[in-house]
Order: sequence, then C-alpha cells, then structure tokens
Amino acid sequence: MRKLITLTLLAGFVFAASVAFAHTPLCSCFDNGDGTVLCEGGFSDGSSAAGVKMYVKDSSGNVLLEGQMSENSDFEFDKPEGDYTVYFDAGEGHVIEIPGSKIVE
Amino acid sequence: MKRIILALCLTLLTAVPAFAHFQMVYTPEIALDEGTDLNMKLVFTHPFEAGHTMDMAPLQEFYVISQRGEAAEPKKTDLMEYVEKITWTSLTNSGAAYEAKLPRKVVRSMGDYVFVAVPGPYYEEEEEIYIQQITKTVLNVGGLPGNWADPVGLPTEIVPLDKPYANWTGGVFRGVVLSEGKPVANADLEVEFMNHPPVEGKNEFQKEAIAEAPHDAFVTMGIKTNDRGEFTVGIPHAGWWGLCALGTGPQTEHEGKELSQDAVLWFKAVDMK
Ligand SMILES: [Cu+2]
Repeated sequence: MRKLITLTLLAGFVFAASVAFAHTPLCSCFDNGDGTVLCEGGFSDGSSAAGVKMYVKDSSGNVLLEGQMSENSDFEFDKPEGDYTVYFDAGEGHVIEIPGSKIVE
Repeated sequence: MKRIILALCLTLLTAVPAFAHFQMVYTPEIALDEGTDLNMKLVFTHPFEAGHTMDMAPLQEFYVISQRGEAAEPKKTDLMEYVEKITWTSLTNSGAAYEAKLPRKVVRSMGDYVFVAVPGPYYEEEEEIYIQQITKTVLNVGGLPGNWADPVGLPTEIVPLDKPYANWTGGVFRGVVLSEGKPVANADLEVEFMNHPPVEGKNEFQKEAIAEAPHDAFVTMGIKTNDRGEFTVGIPHAGWWGLCALGTGPQTEHEGKELSQDAVLWFKAVDMK
C-alpha cells in the first residue's frame, strides 16, 4: 500500500514537473502601422493564452494600460507616445517583457 | 514500384546512378524565433546527387495553412501571387523551377506553417509515366505549436508524428502515409538526404557533397509503412531529409499515361552541441 502511495506521488510529481516545463510562455507583438499594436500569446505546448494579464508600462514603470489576452490569445492596444514596455503576465516565472523599441511592423 | 525497377534497369544498362525524384519546397531555416521575409525554392530534382533537375510543369497550387496554438482555427493563405519562375542549376544541368518571395506579413505570427505545393504532372520520358509530387514543408515561428500534426486533406500526404522542424541528429522521425485520408499499409517510401544544400542567395546547389554513399542503395533508401501506414526513419546526419511515398495518390492516369501521384514531406535535423 505504501509503495502504491509513493508511486502515485511520484507519478504526480513527474506530471506536474512536465507540465511546468512544457508551459514556457510565449508572446510576440507587432506594430500594425496604424497607431495600434497587436500582441499574440501562447504557451510552448500549444495551449491558449486566453485570459493572461497584459500590462503596458511607460519608462518609469507606470501602468498605462492593462487588460487581458482575448479568446484568440490576442491583445490589441493604441500605441502610447514615448517609450513603453509590454508585459505578458501569466504568473510567477511566466512573465515576458517586450520593450516597445523591439515592436516593429 | 515500377519506377524503382525501371530505374534499376537503366542503371544496369547505362551505369547511371539510381536516384529518386523529389519535389523540394526549400528555405534554409524552418525553426524561426520570429516572423520574417522568406525565400522559398520549389525545385524538382534528385537531392542526394544534386543531379538532373527536371523542368517543373506549371505549378498548380502553392499555399500555406497556419495555426497559432492548438485551440486556434487553421488559416489558409494562397501564395501563388508571390511565385515566380526561375532556372535552377544542379551539378549536371539546369531546369525550370519556381521561387516564392514571401513578405513578413505572411509569416508574422507565432505558430506552425504547413506549406503545400501541388506541381502539375511531370512527364518522365524514359519511363513514359507522369509523376506528380504533392509536397509539404512545415515551419514554426516562436516555438508555439499549431497544426503540424494535422492532415491537410490532400489526395495523398505524409502526416508527421514528430515535429518536422525540431529534430536532433541521431533521433528518429515518424509519420503516417495517407491516401484520401486513410492510412496506406505497406506503402513504399523513398528517403533521401539533401547532400548538396542550395547556396544561399543563389539558384544552385553547392558543389561539395556532405556525405558519400558506399553503394547506390544508400543514395535513396527504401522503407515501407507498417499495417497502420506508419513509418520510422533514423536521422544519422544534420540537414534536410526528404520522404516520398510512391504512387499513394488516388489518381493513376494522366493524359492516357500512367501517373504516379506521390506524397513528399521534408524535415530538418540539427546537431546537438
Ligand atoms: Cu529523373
């Protein structure tokens, strides 16, 4: 019986570990060229990023915009004036920062 | 099957090495960090020897089916507007081929891109048959998977069971051969290594070979699918590998002659270092 519990625990651990590993967050943003920016998100295992929190901050770290990834794992916003950074926040260890200077057409 | 036998006969008679036809849909990198402009080359040739390049018949279709994430809907984009005729130079001749200069907007999003080329049937004079190789090449942007494992719905196709853009040298590559959506048991597959990769920026193969075949049988390796239409090949070297399922398509005749409707799939391997 004890052996079975250990095995179950072990199996649980392996499963959890593999899920965590497979869940590398991914986010990529484009300047649409019409004053808007589109960000697309997802995870390396193919799972959806719907509902993931999104922030746009200025160079002093003030939050300019916040929202979340849509059902299609998209987040579109009006491009702010000046420097900005996009944050894809899927929880601890799963945050991606994309500086506005890297977001091109 | 007839093609292999005829090729062997020709070999015995004329001592021309036996090699297989492969429709290439080539671009140097298929595991991309981010979307970019792409230059794809569509060449009908014998990739191990970089030998005789056939004049492609007019291209019937060239499109891509892309999908971002597993839950998303696949999107089909026609690419014929980007296609232009080129002349491809092999080690022994030149032939009519195509290239497609795809702007970044086509391959901008993360996810999988399954490129499909449907060439017109090519008439092989020596064998008096037509050959049509419906070809797939799968590319990924940003590491987010999508539709790489989904059948496209082609008359015949090789559906990968391993990501065609993420393979280490020394691993294996598996797939299933389909004809009208159903697995083909005991299908003949030819496997060939792209031994003289294209020279970047030019419409030609590099002169130097990567590997040497100790025997003609190693130029084009032959494997068969099992009773479920599946196959596995090992990957002994980094680079491009072509897989061709011979005559698995439903169409067997074109303009009164025999037609071999084949399914081709390319995959790429890289060294672990
Ligand atoms: Cu030939």
